[in-house]
Amino acid sequence: MLSLWRMIRATGRIAEPPPSPGAPGAQPVPLTGQAEDAKRALGGSVQIRHVDAGSCNGCEVEIGAAFGPVYDAERYGARLVASPRHADALIVTGVVTRNMAEPLRRTYAAVPAPKLVVAVGDCARNCGVFAGAYGVAGAAGDIVPVDAEVPGCPPRPEAIVAAVRELTGR
Amino acid sequence: MSLATPALAAAHLPGISAHWGLAWTGMATAGVIAAATALVSLVVPQRWRAGVSGAGTACTGLAGAAAGVAAVTGHRGPTLSAAGVLPLSGVSLAVDPLSGWFIAVTGAVAVAAGVYAIGYAGRSASRPSAAVLPLFAASLLAVPAAASAGTLLACWELMALTSLLLVLAEHKRRPEVAEAARWYAVMTHLGLVCVLAGLMLLSAHSHGDGFAALAQAAPHLSPAVKGTVFALVLAGFGSKAGLVPLHAWLPRAHPEAPSHVSALMSAAMVNLGVYGLLRVGFGLLGGGSTWWWLLLIALGAISAVYGILQAAMSTDVKRLLGCSTTENMGLACVGAGAAGLFATTGHPVLAGLALAAALLHIATHAAFKTLLFLAAGSVLHATGTRDLDALGGLRRGMPATTLAFGWGALAASALPPGTAFVSEWLLVQALIHGLRGASTATAITLPLAVSAVALTAGLAVATFVRAFGTGFLAKPRGAAAAAAHESPATMLAGMGLAGAACAVLALVPGAVLPAIGRAVAAAGFAASSSAGGVVTLRLDSLAGEVSPLLLTLALLIVMIAAAAWLRALPARRAARARRAARLWDCGGGPLTPRMEYTATSFAEPLQRVFDDVVAPETDLDITHLDEARYLVASAEYRRKVPDRIERRLYEPVLKAVGAWGNAARRLAPGSVHQYLGYGFYAVTGLLIVLAMTR
Repeated sequence: MLSLWRMIRATGRIAEPPPSPGAPGAQPVPLTGQAEDAKRALGGSVQIRHVDAGSCNGCEVEIGAAFGPVYDAERYGARLVASPRHADALIVTGVVTRNMAEPLRRTYAAVPAPKLVVAVGDCARNCGVFAGAYGVAGAAGDIVPVDAEVPGCPPRPEAIVAAVRELTGR
Repeated sequence: MSLATPALAAAHLPGISAHWGLAWTGMATAGVIAAATALVSLVVPQRWRAGVSGAGTACTGLAGAAAGVAAVTGHRGPTLSAAGVLPLSGVSLAVDPLSGWFIAVTGAVAVAAGVYAIGYAGRSASRPSAAVLPLFAASLLAVPAAASAGTLLACWELMALTSLLLVLAEHKRRPEVAEAARWYAVMTHLGLVCVLAGLMLLSAHSHGDGFAALAQAAPHLSPAVKGTVFALVLAGFGSKAGLVPLHAWLPRAHPEAPSHVSALMSAAMVNLGVYGLLRVGFGLLGGGSTWWWLLLIALGAISAVYGILQAAMSTDVKRLLGCSTTENMGLACVGAGAAGLFATTGHPVLAGLALAAALLHIATHAAFKTLLFLAAGSVLHATGTRDLDALGGLRRGMPATTLAFGWGALAASALPPGTAFVSEWLLVQALIHGLRGASTATAITLPLAVSAVALTAGLAVATFVRAFGTGFLAKPRGAAAAAAHESPATMLAGMGLAGAACAVLALVPGAVLPAIGRAVAAAGFAASSSAGGVVTLRLDSLAGEVSPLLLTLALLIVMIAAAAWLRALPARRAARARRAARLWDCGGGPLTPRMEYTATSFAEPLQRVFDDVVAPETDLDITHLDEARYLVASAEYRRKVPDRIERRLYEPVLKAVGAWGNAARRLAPGSVHQYLGYGFYAVTGLLIVLAMTR
């Protein structure tokens, strides 16, 4: 226990300062008009359920980094939760495979309204390098309505943080 | 503190109040009905047999209950003596309010069980079990009415034999029944031997075996003799009450008996163990030393905690209820022990309160255990299984049984508006108030007893939530549970009677408290330490008051208000429409019964917490493929929670007896000459010893 306290004291604060507007990879992601209403209803606190629809796990590593101590996305009012029933928004990564198309639809249906969907990574946006491949049902937008997109393969944590800040408005 | 043992008098003496006339009429009617029913059951054709036997048992119980009520409302009864009915001692019977209380409880249980038996046994009732059932009920009624050691032992043995026959009723269908009956036969007779030895030791020092003579002789006995007598009867009566470590027969015999018999055994027969302790400890021996009662409290507390732990681990619903009987009898014994302890240390008011708590707990336990066993029997009747892991979803097919079991489970949990709440509250009050000015031993024992009662209450809630939730709610886990249908009307009527008794005891316990007060007074204690209006329960000369009825009303109002608020909530946020959504199943296929939380998994955290106490055994067999040790072909996992006390205590004894028997075999090789030689040497040796000693 003592060693833990010592480690906390020795490590200090390692979170990056919030990226300044206009920095590379931190461009604000435009939201659709309907999403603006949902965003207003959520009032700055967004619980997020992450759905891996068929990703290579590159985006997962970056999401993990974005919610880790360095980029610390939670300080902007977002939080990853364990069930869509608890969530306000979905983060979808990867190209949607055939096996995951129906579970993704059901997960979307399970999120209480008002709800938002963010497609993270090139695969989720437009199938990326897997476009037209066997077993691919489509991009995230082909299965559920997507409100915001984060480009990149994988996207940098700053970009994911910028998208999250766009949802929370903080 | 001497027993209100009635003076010897004949029933027809003038001056006997109407109460006693009524009590004796009731008892005689019960006996006559039981005997007539037994005879008629033997001769009627099979399709009427269950009806005759069940109705006769219910009438026996009704007459017995009336007699018990009459006895409780009276003061002292005369003794009925009939020399020559039994060899040597004859029969003598007497009822006082204490025995009246037990007779009334037993009779009430017999009414519910008898009505239930009509539908349960149905068309398949065998002749012996139909004939023995009313006799069993009658013998249960007769035990508390015994007024001499010989009569008590005779009735006790009759009760043991009739119940043994009833346990054996289904032995053709299941081989486990025979084993359970063997355990029961051996243990109940060892118990009888202990009681017999204790009462013989007491009778040897008195002029007769009537309770009056025994009670007169007891004050002149040395403490060592009295202590020995108490220890012997504690072993005998304690084994009947299912006290640890003599409980081993109880979780075996109670599940294997037909359910109405289980109810009679678990709700009425085990009570008589407590009755015997009270009668001998307070009535005949007149209180005694502090260590008796400390021992009784310790045994009761251990039984309560150990019993409910075993119940919490059990997946067999009737075994679970049997273990819970051990728990509740443990609590009653804590109350009885506390009464004795307070009486010997000079707190008569507290002693009366503790005994009142014990007697009330006997009645509440009888009510909810009857209901639970009858409901479990209804499940067994419909599905053919007692395994909670194979049940589930019964609320669709069997709504009335589900309601009955749920009400019973609530009654068994020591939470308002449960039935057990009132008696356990009284018990805890008595134990807590006993701490004032206590000696060292008492000051150590009482807080431990309070914590044991509290732990028991908490574990009981977990146990019954688990039994009800996994057994009746969610989805059926097997075809039998899915196809379950409601039981016949007579079975539901039996459950309804027991449920109504639970409701009365839970909501207006004040109604029965005057009767308990008289029973407590009959045991020789200050009577009115707990005063009851119908609504409020007040402890005289102690700070304590509770009103179960008002508590229940408050709970109901809060629940209704909460439900109304929840319904009003969406209306206030009318902008957001309600939408129906699929049950969340992780996006995969449909939810299947295999995904459900089972009874075993519900108990797993508890089992982990009490790992050192229950010592579960897990067995993991992994079969590898022939090609590689790293590939698994199949894995088999088994988990068992054996009774640890039984394993540590009984197995070595059984093994030693077996080894002894094997060793003795060499003495009997079958040679007649050798046997004649044994006789010759024995006689010669005896003569030599006599010649030398005289």
